[in-house]
Amino acid sequence: MGSIKNRKNMIAGFFCALLLVLSGLLYFGGYEKLNADDNVITIGVFSDSYWEVQNGYSYQILEDAIEIFEKQHPGARVEYVSGILKEDYSEWLSEQILAGRAPDLFFVLPEDFNDLAELGALKDLTRLTGGDGEFDEKRFYSSAYRYGQYNGVQYSLPYECAPKLMFLNKSILKKEGVPLPGKEWTWEDFYEICSQVTKDTDGNGMADQFGVVGYGWEEAFESNGITLFNRKGTECYLTDEGVEDALVFLERLKELNVGYNVTAKDFDLGNVVFQPMWFSEYRAYKPYPLSIKKYSGFEWECIPMPAGPDGDNISTLNTLLIAMNEHTSHEEYAWDFMKTLTCDVGIQSEIFDYSEGVSVLKEVTESEETLKLLMESSGSGNSLNLQILSDAVENAVVTVRFRNYSEAMTKADEAVNAILEGNSNIRMAQIVWNRAINQYLKEQ
Amino acid sequence: MSEKRSYDYVLVVLKNINLLTVFYISALISYCLSGYIRENSAADFIAKINVLPVAAWKIPVIVMGLYVSLLLLLYIQNTDGRGLFIKIVLELGICFWMSYVIGFSYTGMILLILADAMRYFPKSKWKIQFAVIICMFYLLFDYNLVSIRYRMIGLETYLGYFQSDARFLMLGMKNILASLNTSIFLVYVVLLVRVQESEKERILNLNEKLNEANDELRMANLQLEEYAKESEKAAKAKERNRLAREIHDTLGHSFVGIITGIEACVALMDVAPEATKEQLKAIAEVARQGMTDVRRSVRALRPDALEKLDLENALTQMIDEIQKATSAEIDYQCTTGLNCFNEDEEDIIYRITQESITNSIRHGKAKQIQINIDREYNTLKLRVEDNGIGCNNIQKGFGLHHMEERLNMLGGELKYNGEQGFTVEARIPIRWGSEEGSVVKDD
Repeated sequence: MGSIKNRKNMIAGFFCALLLVLSGLLYFGGYEKLNADDNVITIGVFSDSYWEVQNGYSYQILEDAIEIFEKQHPGARVEYVSGILKEDYSEWLSEQILAGRAPDLFFVLPEDFNDLAELGALKDLTRLTGGDGEFDEKRFYSSAYRYGQYNGVQYSLPYECAPKLMFLNKSILKKEGVPLPGKEWTWEDFYEICSQVTKDTDGNGMADQFGVVGYGWEEAFESNGITLFNRKGTECYLTDEGVEDALVFLERLKELNVGYNVTAKDFDLGNVVFQPMWFSEYRAYKPYPLSIKKYSGFEWECIPMPAGPDGDNISTLNTLLIAMNEHTSHEEYAWDFMKTLTCDVGIQSEIFDYSEGVSVLKEVTESEETLKLLMESSGSGNSLNLQILSDAVENAVVTVRFRNYSEAMTKADEAVNAILEGNSNIRMAQIVWNRAINQYLKEQ
Repeated sequence: MSEKRSYDYVLVVLKNINLLTVFYISALISYCLSGYIRENSAADFIAKINVLPVAAWKIPVIVMGLYVSLLLLLYIQNTDGRGLFIKIVLELGICFWMSYVIGFSYTGMILLILADAMRYFPKSKWKIQFAVIICMFYLLFDYNLVSIRYRMIGLETYLGYFQSDARFLMLGMKNILASLNTSIFLVYVVLLVRVQESEKERILNLNEKLNEANDELRMANLQLEEYAKESEKAAKAKERNRLAREIHDTLGHSFVGIITGIEACVALMDVAPEATKEQLKAIAEVARQGMTDVRRSVRALRPDALEKLDLENALTQMIDEIQKATSAEIDYQCTTGLNCFNEDEEDIIYRITQESITNSIRHGKAKQIQINIDREYNTLKLRVEDNGIGCNNIQKGFGLHHMEERLNMLGGELKYNGEQGFTVEARIPIRWGSEEGSVVKDD
């Protein structure tokens, strides 16, 4: 009797353990690993340019990279789904990840990066970057490299980037007899020029020539050394001293325009001296007939951003990232292909040929060929100083990363606008708004 | 018996309700998840969650796999404490995993585990601990509590896929199933308690009957004891009569003969000295005959065992018999030869041993009795020691008194001590060798 009972118990226990193992395989992704094709890696990519330009070279760089990779790894194949537009890419990637079909490698838009890293969809690359003798993170611009980190962990590698630079209309300055600002100019220089050029040129009683357009609080904060949030995104530093300086400075700039709302169109028409722009915008507009016409009315140049009293001549960087699927079954291949895309000099040089960004490798961006290429495409040799570009990338601010960063920034934007438009004491308003934002952050 | 079956049926119903509930929830989650993908709102969903879910089709499969493995574990019969503990821990582990996959939106499986474990409780001394552990898990398996420690996606987040009225309908159905589970669990508990109560009642009844039987037995025992006393009295009276008759028949007869003969001798002595001598010889013959008769009578009074066996074997046999008859453990050590004692000495040694053992068992309630017989120079030392309750205030009863008297007759002495257990020590001078042949044996 006892032995029959024991045998029944044993059988039940065996099947129980079997089911548990199978459930575990399904749950922890062993099932996909068993089913995966050993020699094919997939990559998620969008068809148009990250910089919102239809340049006709979609997939060109990727195809070349695949060719190099497949030559180095005979038998291996790289596949990608073509035809996904950048505007649909976030949704497509989210769907693939939710359905458990995410590619081994995928491009990550900066706005998706925090969510995906937080959710654990991206592989922690620390072990791969540290354990690979061929890989040297010092070849990258440190800002671009840090851009791929979340909470101090390297979850992705930069593929291409673009710094924010200050465009200036040389024609106006020449006309007004104002000397060009140097590389290390300050807010005071900036304000001085703006106040000198803002005037009524046609004598109709209304100012029609202005100092700056598109210079907002973010640019002012960045160049005054302000970090608005702590690393975890649980606290806001809107009451810091530098913030008040920046707000006062913005108010002074605004007052120069005496109520006229300056737009980007005024810059295009040649009536504004300064406008901050992504380097990619400069490159995107330059080679096209449309843009030549657009900017043909004046001579221009780009320089770093003006430095605040507590800051530097720096701005932010916009970077396109590549990350690896946390559950990839082809870690080695995926890592090698990731390196081909980000560290191969040939591939990175192609960014200057087929894209509008800047290579994330110092050696490529600072090379002679790049300079030649940029000069050819821009058509004017003196409009661009490569050192300025390289410095702008290297010194760029890498913002803190946390889950609800964009929502927090929207809140901060609301706060700064309210402070600038309101009539109350700036310092009081800072305290009130800081409390409100902290409240919001704690609720998240 | 029919009630026993009925709560087993309820357990089956409980298992099915749980199956239905976890399947419903996992299917719902799976539907919502694939719905988000189907309707191109995956990015919105990803922005709301803090951990990636497994693929939609896997959720019901994993949950069903885990549920079946839980059922298999429940099927395993295990009643001893440690096995039951491991079983319950494993069940709770599976339960946690399953609840985690469905976002802790349903934890009624724990009631199922509790219901199953309760079946073993009457047999387990750890029942309180087990019940408390399981109940604690039931309280702690809560989405809000667990989400402090573990990242997971709540059912509400998945259900965000539906419009609000559909969402409430889905949630309402889940809540109905959960409440159903709870109420069926209550029914189960009530039935189980009833069965266990009636079991208790049955045991109580049996106990009562046992007590009655015990009482009857005690009465019968008392009667038996009285009867034994009476029969002892009767035996004593009979023995006294027999002794009287024996004395009358033998000694009386002889003494009458001797007295008559001596009177005749007194009359004859001066007249016919020769005839007197003859007569005296005849008287001596009568006296000798009387002596023989006395000896025969005395022999008839000897212990039966000594009659048949020698002292050593008689002692061993007696001890064996007592050991068989009682639960006492008797250790008998004899380091000297026991032959060559006279009958009266043998009798006394035998009687003292017997009396002491009887006293130890009857009055001392001893479990262990140690008997040592050895020789010190010309003295035989008999020591009976027990681990019984002893006696602080010794009142010499007939037994001890009698023993002392008998020993004094032989020139021996008796010591006793009742402080720790009871110890009796008898010292008997050994006559053989120095005083070979006694009066009785010698004549």
